Order: sequence, then C-alpha cells, then structure tokens
Amino acid sequence: MATNTLSTEKKFTWGGGKSPFNVSYGKLMMWIFLLSDAFTFSSLLIAYGFIRYSFQSPIPNTIVKPLSEVGHNFVEQMNEAGLFLQDHWPSPELVFNHFPFIHGIHLPLFFVSLMTFILIFSSVTMVLAVEAGHRMAKNEVAKYMLLTIIGGAMFLGCQAWEWTTFIGEGARLYGNPYGPRSFAALFFIVTGFHGFHVFSGVMLNVIIYINVLNGTYEKRGHYEMVEKVGLYWHFVDLVWVFVFTFFYLI
Amino acid sequence: MEHIEHIEHTESPKDMKAQIWKTFWILFAFTVIDIVLYFFLISYHSMIKNWLFIVLGIVKAYYIVGVFMHMKFERKTLMYSIIIPMVFVIFFVTLMIIEGDYTNILRWFK
Repeated sequence: MATNTLSTEKKFTWGGGKSPFNVSYGKLMMWIFLLSDAFTFSSLLIAYGFIRYSFQSPIPNTIVKPLSEVGHNFVEQMNEAGLFLQDHWPSPELVFNHFPFIHGIHLPLFFVSLMTFILIFSSVTMVLAVEAGHRMAKNEVAKYMLLTIIGGAMFLGCQAWEWTTFIGEGARLYGNPYGPRSFAALFFIVTGFHGFHVFSGVMLNVIIYINVLNGTYEKRGHYEMVEKVGLYWHFVDLVWVFVFTFFYLI
Repeated sequence: MEHIEHIEHTESPKDMKAQIWKTFWILFAFTVIDIVLYFFLISYHSMIKNWLFIVLGIVKAYYIVGVFMHMKFERKTLMYSIIIPMVFVIFFVTLMIIEGDYTNILRWFK
C-alpha cells in the first residue's frame, strides 16, 4: 500500500516540484515515441510520393467501370489494353479491386474502405475504454478493450487477405505485373510496416486487457496504462488515414 | 519545494462520451466524402486531386489527434512540443516535391 499512497500526487511531479507538461512521465514518453514514429512514417510516405512523382502519371482508364464484370485474366487484359506500362505509375483502382468471396466484379476501393471503417471503429472503442477508465469502471474498460482487440485482429486478417491476393497476382518486392518495380515494393514495405504496428498494438492491447481483468489497475488506483496504449492505438489509426490516402485514393 | 502540483486528471468536457461519438461521426463522414470523391474523380489524375485528398486526410488527423488522443485538452507546452517538430516533415515534403519534379523532367522530357 505504501506505493499506492504515493502514486496520484507524486507521480506527476518532476524533480523541480512541478510538472511542466501536466502529464506523467510515461505518457510524455509515449508522445515523444509517437513523434519519432511519425517521422519514420512520414519518411516512408514521402519516399513513396517522390518515387511516384518521378514516374509519369497513370493512364486514364476509360475501359473498366466500377461494378462491371471482369475476367480471370484481368491483369493481362489491362497489360494488353496498355493501361499498365513500365513508364507509368499504375492507377490504384485497377490494382486493388478485389473483395473476398466476390469474384469477377471490378470493385475498386471497396475492401480497403471496409478496412478503414474497421480501424476507425476500433479507435472509438479504445477511446471509450479510456473514458471508462477515468470512471474506474473495470467491466466497461474490459468490454471496450476486448472490442478493440477484435477490431485490430479483423484489420490484420483483412490485410493478410489483401497481401495474399496481391502476391497471388504476381506482385513481389522485386517486381510486379502492373508497371514500375517500386510500386509493389513500396506497397509491401509501407503497409507491412503499418501492419506490424497494428500487430504490436494488438499484442499490447492483449497484455493491458489481461491486466484489466486481473484488477492490476484497480489496485493501482488509476487506468493510465489504458490511456498510454490508447495513444499508440490512435496513432496507428492516424497513420492508416495517410496510408489509405496515398496508396489507394490518390 | 514542498509545493506539490495537483494534476487535474481530465480537463476534458464532462460529456466526453457524446464528444467521442460526435468525433466518430465526423471521421465517418469525411471517409465517406473521400470515397464519394474517389468514385467521382476515378479516371482523372492531377495534382489538385492529390492535394484534395491530402487536405481531407489532414482534417481527419486533426480530429484523431485532438479528440481521440486528447491533445486538445492537454497543456499548450505539450501540444507545441509535439506539433512544432512536424515542421521538419513539411520541409522534407517541400524539398522532395522540388526534387521529384526535377527527376521527372530529367527522365521524361528529352
């Protein structure tokens, strides 16, 4: 109990007797880490922008309309139609047009929109867990943490499916059937790096969830760990907003 | 230095739950706008379209960082120490736009 009495007031106090940022050490360090991680992701996305910009823009597609029927050899057809060329960046709508269990229909952006909504929703459940933590409502925190973990796992499943489809069509780190080599390489590196962040986030969420169930934070007197891991989780959502913008929308 | 600053744990509004759901609907709406614009401009490629989507992304980022990550309700010192270093990103973007343009010209205009 000796450690507990000291917690809420002293925890936020620095050596000078004041906390300049009005947050605990751990939370401040999480922010600093996220700032450095934001630089990493910015560098990756800027590299993407630079490489894409140094190629010629995609050729406008006037052949395939969304929701129209397409054959199994879609990629070859597009190559023959001259929409995938080595000098031109491929139009994302012609590459990411698959949806699980629906074959033979051109569905650009549908699957990735679903992934985006899953991630936004898991972000909401995370922030609701943080809010419940402020009220010391253990059961509610546990419920929302579980929902967040499920959302994260669903997102990872979606990404695994997308990678499988992409690799199945012949996309590799060293080349792809859509055009410039760097197209698939950048896709794998950036979405892979983001996916690994999601994976780490899910693992952290699982640890925190177990701790919530064990009553660790109830004993500690505050649910600040949920807030810290929440910051990380929202950051992953934030990065996805830009990955979604650069890789799929533009 | 016996003065111990007592921290206000949450300076956030009392109806935090309502605010969270409001933010969710804003993010949802902006994503829907993204998708609608995407289909509207599907076979059109230009710099203006790219910037349009980037600006929409930044608007969503504002809501995620501000409300979900609680930045709006933190002390200004924390806010600025995280936001101001992002200037370096803008600097890097500017450099790479200039350099990418140059590479493009060297490569394709003969």
